Amino acid sequence: MPAVTPYEVKPWLSQYGAAVPAELPRPAHASLAAMAEAAAERHAERVAFSCVLPNGMFGRLSYAQVRQLSDAFAHYLRRVVGLQAGDRVALQMPNCLAWPVALLGVLKAGCVAVNTNPLYTPREMTHQFADSGAKVVVIVDLFADQLEQALAGTPVQQVVVVRVTDFFPPLVGAIAHAVMKYWNRAVPPHALPKVHTLQQALAAGRAADAGPARGYWAELTHDSLALLQYTGGTTGVAKGAELTHGNLLWNLAQMRAMAGSRIDEGREVVLTALPLYHIFAFTVNFLCMFEAGARNVLVPSPRPVQSLQRAIENEKITWITGVNTLFNALLNEEWFTAYPPKHLKAAGGGGAAMHHAVVERFEQVTGAPLAEGYGLTECSPVVCFQPLHGPRVKDSIGIPVPGTDITLIDDAGQPVAMGQPGELCVRGPQVMRGYWQRPEATAEVFRDGWLRTGDVAVMDAQGTFRIVDRKKDLVLVSGFNVYPNEIEDALARHDAVMEAAVIGLADPKTGEAVHAYVVLREDTVGKVSEADLLAHCRTLLTGYKVPARVHFRTELPKTPIGKILRKDLRAQAQAAAGPR
Amino acid sequence: MLSETETRLLGVMMMVIMLGMGASLTFKDFAIALRKPVGVAVGLLCQYGIMPFLAFLLAKGLGLPPAYAVGLILMGCMPGGTTSNIFTYFSKGTLSLSILMTISSTLVAIVMVPLTLAFYSAGIEGEWQIPRENVIQVLVVLLVPTVLGIALRKWNANVGAVIELIGGLLGVLVILFLTLSWVPRNWQLLLTTGFPVYVGSIGLGLGGFVLGYGLSRLLKQDARRSRTIALETGIQNGPLAVLIVLLTFSGTQQQEVLLIPVLYSLFIVLSSSAVTVWFRRITTREELARDAAKVGALKSA
Repeated sequence: MPAVTPYEVKPWLSQYGAAVPAELPRPAHASLAAMAEAAAERHAERVAFSCVLPNGMFGRLSYAQVRQLSDAFAHYLRRVVGLQAGDRVALQMPNCLAWPVALLGVLKAGCVAVNTNPLYTPREMTHQFADSGAKVVVIVDLFADQLEQALAGTPVQQVVVVRVTDFFPPLVGAIAHAVMKYWNRAVPPHALPKVHTLQQALAAGRAADAGPARGYWAELTHDSLALLQYTGGTTGVAKGAELTHGNLLWNLAQMRAMAGSRIDEGREVVLTALPLYHIFAFTVNFLCMFEAGARNVLVPSPRPVQSLQRAIENEKITWITGVNTLFNALLNEEWFTAYPPKHLKAAGGGGAAMHHAVVERFEQVTGAPLAEGYGLTECSPVVCFQPLHGPRVKDSIGIPVPGTDITLIDDAGQPVAMGQPGELCVRGPQVMRGYWQRPEATAEVFRDGWLRTGDVAVMDAQGTFRIVDRKKDLVLVSGFNVYPNEIEDALARHDAVMEAAVIGLADPKTGEAVHAYVVLREDTVGKVSEADLLAHCRTLLTGYKVPARVHFRTELPKTPIGKILRKDLRAQAQAAAGPR
Repeated sequence: MLSETETRLLGVMMMVIMLGMGASLTFKDFAIALRKPVGVAVGLLCQYGIMPFLAFLLAKGLGLPPAYAVGLILMGCMPGGTTSNIFTYFSKGTLSLSILMTISSTLVAIVMVPLTLAFYSAGIEGEWQIPRENVIQVLVVLLVPTVLGIALRKWNANVGAVIELIGGLLGVLVILFLTLSWVPRNWQLLLTTGFPVYVGSIGLGLGGFVLGYGLSRLLKQDARRSRTIALETGIQNGPLAVLIVLLTFSGTQQQEVLLIPVLYSLFIVLSSSAVTVWFRRITTREELARDAAKVGALKSA
């Protein structure tokens, strides 16, 4: 018998204190549809969603409206299109009022939602629709022309086209749409076969059945599939993580347990700048906050970050979620630093490692805690979060959310000693069933019931975890492990640096060498040299960690939520070096 | 001469335009602008330092008779025109800076316009002088809708944004209206108008572009901001000048003084359009150059 590992002791339980229950009861609702129905009953007249355009124009839906509209959409899917329970419906749109209507409509119809990035190329769309077997695509008009080329070879039978301005006040919506169409020329013409607008679909659904849609979802259980959330598109072929109603309900409850001290039922206003097709915003902003009766402020596009200004001015924001690049961008905006949201209670960061300098500055500017979390698509996504009720360990991902087991293992699969880096493995009710129709990929990522994340972490004596880096992003300099995050953080502490990314590139002398890619703040371009930054790094880092080269860039490659793509930087650098 | 109804209509349209301009900004925008007084100061310096002086020089240098001289100097003393914001948008300039410059120059107009106007038109015969009260009266009347616009934006962002758009559209319509109602009735005057009047009307705008750009570059503003300031400086509030003239003069005197403000308004649309196309090309080229400087934006598969 092996000795008890530090992870079986669960030292983090002591950090839960009185605020976080160590064991959560099984979520009361059988499905997300049931959860949404109950929330809509409790908060009927409250504003559920407010979509704010960059010029300040906005549209709103109350909980009662979301309920009625999503019922109509569920009837449309089942009665008009003729879908069966378990059929897949792809949703492809930026944050807008149509999203909650479509998403809840799909779940209430007993169908499975396939969140799809609207910026996908036709090739990526074809893959995702064919792989998931989507029969209906709900797409925003801005990208409908791309869909035209993508439909061949997919089982899609019906397309529903939505507008960002759907459900806006009529005159405002018409003006905003006209500006998008004729001024920005952002609405391309399309010749899609079998199209309904969202309004047509809702009218047809209402005509088919004006009552509630309860009949379709009453039979759903925790084991029913709710979401196919595609992931891994940046490393290889995208796989759909199968997230069940149970997975998502558990994660919702886990997240609310961790943040409960700062979430007041019916009183929160959350800024949703991250796209809802991404699992982080899906669970934290949408599920958690919808259940809590919050007002969700949807921003269709957070880039440029200036687009958030009117949303933050119009609404009394109490919560913000974001990724490092979003917080970083906000902190570079004078309108934000001069007049940070007054009512802010907390901010949640995740998606990619938060940089120390950004967290410090954000808390200084807003006076609200920026708690960092850790998660991945396969875990619905939250695994760890810094507790909002107690002391938070800087630069950590906090502690496991209730009901979650974590162990760190070495290359041989053995748990590592406390304080030693090891691959983070997760077990818990939020962990996915597997990858959709990919048994080999599923087998590869699970070991003895544990999900292997590919992230290297360490745990301290109190059970606080810290992510060291992605296993495959480690740089091996003359046999020493260098973790890019540490170097990036050191660079970000320099006043002139807006953002930085670090990768390892082959080097004849040291095996691999640390290369830094730096974007300077606008007013410091040309005033700071490579030598300046290297000197700065030498004051913070030991010799082998100091970058061999610093390359200046005006922009870094990023994912739609703003995660820096080191993989793309590496590919660019290798392409520039030429074939060997 | 414009009829009573047309004058009133122009007045109402101007109020809507100013309402729209007010609705384009929030109180926070002002507060933020005042935190960085340098940016606003550069704009105001261009607006009230360069333009009236340039108008005065042109009037002197071209030897314009008093009626035309006072029209030109009045034009030079005006605050920024709201159409500059539209041109800035199309030229890919810094829109927030443009709006702020327009609005701040409008707010200080109540002090600066009477001052500069009195100073530069001091040498002009009494009967052609524009009384300070008239200028202040028009400006006060226009300040009310501006402040009202800001309040509307605060009250309901949707109403604010819609008014902002309507005001922007009206800005263009008013110039069309002025041109269409004035030119056909005065084509003979246009034919007999001397070369110097055209040089003055067109030169004021073009000179404003060049000097606005030069001064802001000198004061260390970057190229894109400088292009925005250039447009902002060159584009004056033409309809406002027309309104002041209508209030002050009548009969043939009015027709004569109106000539340059109307010609200016007509030609500034043409020259701004040309400059906008040119600026847009430069901005696009700069953007492409930045793209090329990168190792190449890989599209991830």
